Amino acid sequence: MTETLLSVRDLRVSYKVGASRIDAVDGASFDVPRGTIVGLVGESGCGKTTIAKALTRVIADNASITGGQMMFEGRDLVSLSERQMNALRWREIAFIPQSAMNSLDPVYTVESQLNEVLRRRGGLGRREARKRCEELFELVGIDKGRLSDYPHQFSGGMRQRVAIALALALNPKLVIADEPVTALDVIVQRQILDQLRELQAALGISVIIVTHDISVVAYICDRTVVMYAGKVAEAGSMQATLTEPSHPYTMGLRNAFPDLQGAASGTLTPIEGAPPNLAFPPPGCRFAPRCPFVLETCRQVNPPLETVGPNHVAACHRAGEAVELRTQAARVDTWSGKVLA
Amino acid sequence: MPHLKAAISRTLQLALVLWAVVTILFLMFRLMPGNPMAAYIDPTFTLEQQQALMAQFGLDKPLWEQYFIYIGNLLQGELGQSFRYREPVATRIWALLPNTLILTFSSLILAYTFGILAGAYLAWKRGGVVENAAIPLVLTTRAMPEFWLGMVLLAIFSFNLGWFPAGGTRPAGASYDSLWALYTSREFLSYLALPALTLAIYSQGLPLLLMRSNMLDVMKEDFVTMARIKGLSNWTVVVRHAARNALLPVMTSFAIAVGYQLQGNVVVESVFSWPGLGRELVNAVSASDYPLAQGAFLMIAVVVILMNLIADLLYALLDPRISHA
Ligand SMILES: Nc1ncnc2c1ncn2[C@@H]1O[C@H](COP(=O)(O)OP(=O)(O)OP(=O)(O)O)[C@@H](O)[C@H]1O
Ligand code: SF4
Ligand SMILES: [Mg+2]
Repeated sequence: MTETLLSVRDLRVSYKVGASRIDAVDGASFDVPRGTIVGLVGESGCGKTTIAKALTRVIADNASITGGQMMFEGRDLVSLSERQMNALRWREIAFIPQSAMNSLDPVYTVESQLNEVLRRRGGLGRREARKRCEELFELVGIDKGRLSDYPHQFSGGMRQRVAIALALALNPKLVIADEPVTALDVIVQRQILDQLRELQAALGISVIIVTHDISVVAYICDRTVVMYAGKVAEAGSMQATLTEPSHPYTMGLRNAFPDLQGAASGTLTPIEGAPPNLAFPPPGCRFAPRCPFVLETCRQVNPPLETVGPNHVAACHRAGEAVELRTQAARVDTWSGKVLA
Repeated sequence: MPHLKAAISRTLQLALVLWAVVTILFLMFRLMPGNPMAAYIDPTFTLEQQQALMAQFGLDKPLWEQYFIYIGNLLQGELGQSFRYREPVATRIWALLPNTLILTFSSLILAYTFGILAGAYLAWKRGGVVENAAIPLVLTTRAMPEFWLGMVLLAIFSFNLGWFPAGGTRPAGASYDSLWALYTSREFLSYLALPALTLAIYSQGLPLLLMRSNMLDVMKEDFVTMARIKGLSNWTVVVRHAARNALLPVMTSFAIAVGYQLQGNVVVESVFSWPGLGRELVNAVSASDYPLAQGAFLMIAVVVILMNLIADLLYALLDPRISHA
């Protein structure tokens, strides 16, 4: 896992709402090495979906990419023409949405929707497309007799499999999955994630999984990108970021989720408070209002992303004291409104 | 077979509605103040003559008995005698119904074809100059009275330009081998043009605005965003996905609009002297020709109820969530 497939640098995406501007993604940088699964994790509203959509350049009417680069195999997706970008869509970058129910057109059969990309985007003939449809259904473990069914005739888990089949249809290099299992129960979540992992390894593709659930990252990802309020707080290998987090927010997130195996490791401690309003972000570190380790400088100076280990970066003024902070963070009372230091 | 069950219960429901309509019509015309025969019975008739007539029409029997006779007759397709024309009401209605249906359907098909295309286009080009100009225009057409619109079209295209005849369904004195020959003749089309256009202009606003607002809603759906992420062409996204889904409720509204139109035809049929059911209904009521009025009412009600059934079936046909439940 050396070669980089996608390299996002200082990406900025904002939404215009009336007269004000929301910088939903405010200078995000991270890499996706070829053949890996990268987890983009953070609380609701931190800009994960905004990044995922920006990578396809299909963004809301009131959104615009205001800066930065998205280098995909040497091409900057930000500066490609709409035509060039469209040529890449689905053939090289595919998408698995959160709710397969809403993302499949209710009036067409699943086969017709697979055919649509296979024939219109992949240039396959009728017969080849039919063969590929059966192949894809076999790949995701659905009986091919169900190709002629409509989306509403599938269960939630199966629909998500259909969405995976759809994403893999044209052999893309990168698959972006936005909360692919959030709507499912834990057992089905595991099945879908197992399948995703298997297919990813077999096909050698790269996957970005967007999730608010750090246990999903622990279960399936090779690398972690932790986002907070439109910025990257910490990024690195899954092992390094989750076992030895250097950013207090990552430490907090780790305490807030049970793992996917079902057993809660210790007590679950939520991080108190809520992320800042992105129309009026606090100066300095955006996590400062909720951070138990906040210092005076934190409120004034924005901490830059700095290397804290091999292939491991974090944006915290106190990243150097990470070992000590981790022991404190493991204690419940640290997070219950008591600000230490 | 959940389908069959649904279809049967739906049909029973409609039968019940039809029965209610029939009963209300019966009561309406029997319980109205005044003698229903007043217009028919000449004051110079002797009492015996009057009595004989009352007996002939069954009006001397108690109300409940009259009701059963009436229902029995209806079941045999017997609608009674028109006071005014002295001929069976059914004959009269069957002669007028095709004119009304042709006018209604041709104008609505015109209105819906235009409305759906224009509505979809306006939703697609949301926020542009075209939209800013078009919406007030559409609202204006909705506000124009039908008779006024009809007169204007008459004045321009018939009296001034002489492109179309002013009224009726055929040239004076012309005769045709069959109704079919009449309805497929070129002259008939030229007679149909102006009244159909008037109704079409009057009716296109509803499908247009409905289609537009449905489209705007559907365009926000995830599957439309996904279609874009798939790199599909703009045309595929807008027509194959957005418009196809937005069309569902519009198609249903077509069937229901037929019912409305039947009631609304009266004005246009009068302006263009179009021999239809609506005009006849008004004439019958003002001439106190109760059997004819009752028959015309009933016919319109039957068409409205049928169209509702068709709307349901259409929806099931177009929406796999219902047909493949
Ligand atoms: N179309 C929009 N117009 C204005 N603001 C938006 C729009 N879409 C998202 N936002 C705002 O941008 C921020 C980031 O939203 P985004 O959907 O990317 O978050 P997320 O991390 O995916 O959250 P979630 O877990 O809820 O999906 C939020 O504050 C959100 O309110
Ligand atoms: S910079 Fe300061 S406030 Fe921000 S996370 Fe680090 S310690 Fe907390
Ligand atoms: Mg999201």
